[in-house]
Amino acid sequence: MIEVSGLTKRYGSFTAVHDLSFAVRPGEVLGLVGPNGAGKTTTLRCIAGIIPATAGHCSIAGHHLAVDPVGAKRTLAFFPDEPRLFDYLTVRQHLAFVARIYGVENHEAIAEPLLVELEIADKANQLPGELSRGMKQKLAIACGLLHSPQVMFFDEPLTGLDPLGIRRMKDSILQRARAGATIVLSSHLLHLLEEVCSHVLILKGGEKIADGTLADVSARFSNGEPGVSLEEIFIRATGGSET
Amino acid sequence: MIGALIFLRLTSLKNLLLSRFRRLKQPKYLVGAIVGAGYLYLMFFRRMHAGRPRGNYSTTLAGTLPPDLLPTAIAIGAFILLVIVFLAWIVPDSRAGLSFTEAEIAFLFPAPVSRRSLIVYKLLNSQLAVLFTAALITLFTGSWSYLGGNALTHGFGWWVILATLNLHFIGASFVMTRLMDHGITPWLRRFLVLGLVLLAVLVTAAWLWRDLRAPVSSDLANFRSAANYLDGFLATGPLPWLLFPAKLVVAPFLAPDTPSFLLALGPALVVFALHFLWVLRSEVSFEDASIAKSEKRAAKVAAVREGNWRAASGALKARKGPFHLSPLGRPEIAFLWKNLLSTFPLFRPRTFALAAVLIVGVHRWLARDPGNRAALVVFPLVAAIAAAYTIFLGPQIARQDLRSDLANTDILKTYPLRGWQVVLGEMLTPIAILTGVLWLVLLTLLVSFHPPARFAWVTPGLRVAIGLGLFPLMPAVCALQLLVPNAAALLFPAWVQTMRDRTERGIEMIGQRIIFVAGQLLVVTLALIPAAAGALALVFATQWLIGPIAAVAVAAAGVFVILVAEVACGVWWLGQRFEKFDLSSELRP
Repeated sequence: MIEVSGLTKRYGSFTAVHDLSFAVRPGEVLGLVGPNGAGKTTTLRCIAGIIPATAGHCSIAGHHLAVDPVGAKRTLAFFPDEPRLFDYLTVRQHLAFVARIYGVENHEAIAEPLLVELEIADKANQLPGELSRGMKQKLAIACGLLHSPQVMFFDEPLTGLDPLGIRRMKDSILQRARAGATIVLSSHLLHLLEEVCSHVLILKGGEKIADGTLADVSARFSNGEPGVSLEEIFIRATGGSET
Repeated sequence: MIGALIFLRLTSLKNLLLSRFRRLKQPKYLVGAIVGAGYLYLMFFRRMHAGRPRGNYSTTLAGTLPPDLLPTAIAIGAFILLVIVFLAWIVPDSRAGLSFTEAEIAFLFPAPVSRRSLIVYKLLNSQLAVLFTAALITLFTGSWSYLGGNALTHGFGWWVILATLNLHFIGASFVMTRLMDHGITPWLRRFLVLGLVLLAVLVTAAWLWRDLRAPVSSDLANFRSAANYLDGFLATGPLPWLLFPAKLVVAPFLAPDTPSFLLALGPALVVFALHFLWVLRSEVSFEDASIAKSEKRAAKVAAVREGNWRAASGALKARKGPFHLSPLGRPEIAFLWKNLLSTFPLFRPRTFALAAVLIVGVHRWLARDPGNRAALVVFPLVAAIAAAYTIFLGPQIARQDLRSDLANTDILKTYPLRGWQVVLGEMLTPIAILTGVLWLVLLTLLVSFHPPARFAWVTPGLRVAIGLGLFPLMPAVCALQLLVPNAAALLFPAWVQTMRDRTERGIEMIGQRIIFVAGQLLVVTLALIPAAAGALALVFATQWLIGPIAAVAVAAAGVFVILVAEVACGVWWLGQRFEKFDLSSELRP
């Protein structure tokens, strides 16, 4: 469902992502991990079609991102770490706006259960300025899910959520993966990866250090030691520094 | 302790100035600074160097203020000051809050710094702002040289007035806070203050009734006699006593020469010092209100930096959509719907329709009476001014487009839309607003403008044809104009971001704004040349065959095609740019 090959992103002489290749199939949840500046967010923004890649190929649900960006974007949803909302649209108006952009005909029938599921139904007529950080995050998620995307990208999805919100977010990600969605998420929270991700991709300095199932990656860096934690694996894989 | 606070202030100021100088290494700031400095020189400094401005009404009428009118001028100034002071005791309804930044609150409030030291710090701090404001006002009121004195006496005079007023506001807020602590609500306080003022007015009125005769026509025959009468009025009863401290404060500003200024400065500084002591000795808890004020200001600054003027004005309220947005249809319309929600609800078709009905109705009503001829002249005049403002400044004011949504580009770019669709959608709201205004202007001109006799060849039919021909062109003209600032937002986002940040100040910012507006005018003029040439060619070529009215219609159609083609090319090109746009890399230092 997501196929990335040779992805490279350069800003002038600085290379943020270098020759990155990976694939994620439906039902899989890939966790992007790496130290600060590893290129996680840049990778997510490139494969979500937000910024053009300098080189490489990316295909989303069979649509080549460079050739058919509109077709690819119709199938995906991107959830940034900081919910980006329009200050002057209420919760319901956000959903109406997004429905028109994606052409979701029966959006009200989809939106109402979504609002209930995300526990913001009682805030439907409020502006983002009247919502807490967690509520804003939920609204951003509702907007992203309205067109029933097959592919989802989450950038630090747990930022700003309370413990209950974190539990629900994890359940929601797993539930959508089980329903056949292809999910990529980036996070510093290794326990999230352990609980949610089926696969992991470790980046450092814009390059791939390792990828595969959690078991594969653990096996590669545990050196045969039993019970090595993901945190220890992460530190061994990245060398314990940012660069 | 106060030494550390002064160090903080002076170091911050030094670093601010250094950073301003350092950024002049960047061409956009250097060019902006040169243009801004040139503008200030031409507008203000040259005039100050040259002495009095040419053709200024005050110099032609009166030269400098005659010495015998000086007491009247001082009394009038003092009266104005008194009214401002009165408002300071009436208007506020919250507790006293000194303006601290969030960093100052974080560092100073938990620190072992006494409340008095904090007040002294804030008072010293505010003097810098007051000095700057006084210098600015002196620049802008350079033409007030008829009051006598010079730039220095005016500058220091303004400083004395503003600094004393500032202290009075703070002192009044402290007293009002203490009254609130004693259970006196703002409304009760207002009632008491108004009662005292009413008492003073009644006493003064009784005194005037006894001592002063009512003005007769000779008292108002000329400026001097009116001033004399006013002088008598202001010298009656308790008024001289009430005005006395305020007179001391305004006297340095109105001093006709340097010796008089120095003489007036002493008493004014005494009033200032008394205010300083009053504020310093006030033991009022201002911390809570200061924190609230600081948070409010920080939120406002953040909103302004994001270009969110409605949020910054605190007027953000949930509102019904401007029209029903169906989930199916052109996605660009969703942007129109969204951005209309970001503006004031005034910009709706029904408002424009109502205005159109009013314009036509009022004009027809006035036109029924030939005695209203003078009033009817106002219509085309106002329309011409409105047209000029809309064309020159409209695109700078109506910014509900990419300029306001730059921060949301990450989300906009995930939408399944081509770049040109996003650009067009974003531009629709300002196009609609400016078109609505220009249509009203055209309508006004159409119903009210009648060409002079020497333009007899402009028959009523031709006039209507020209007017109607212009109507469909307006959206295209507005779109053309709006392409420029939107292109700037995508091509020079850092520049646009800085200009949008109204908290940024300095001559380089003035210069940048001038360059931007001039550039926009130049580009739009160049873009209009092919359309204008095409129109002229079509009218010239066809009027012999089909008559002038039909020729105007053909020319309008031709111009429409040219303008739409230009706009389409511009939107398509901007769309390409939008698809490659990466705000995070564009704003990298």
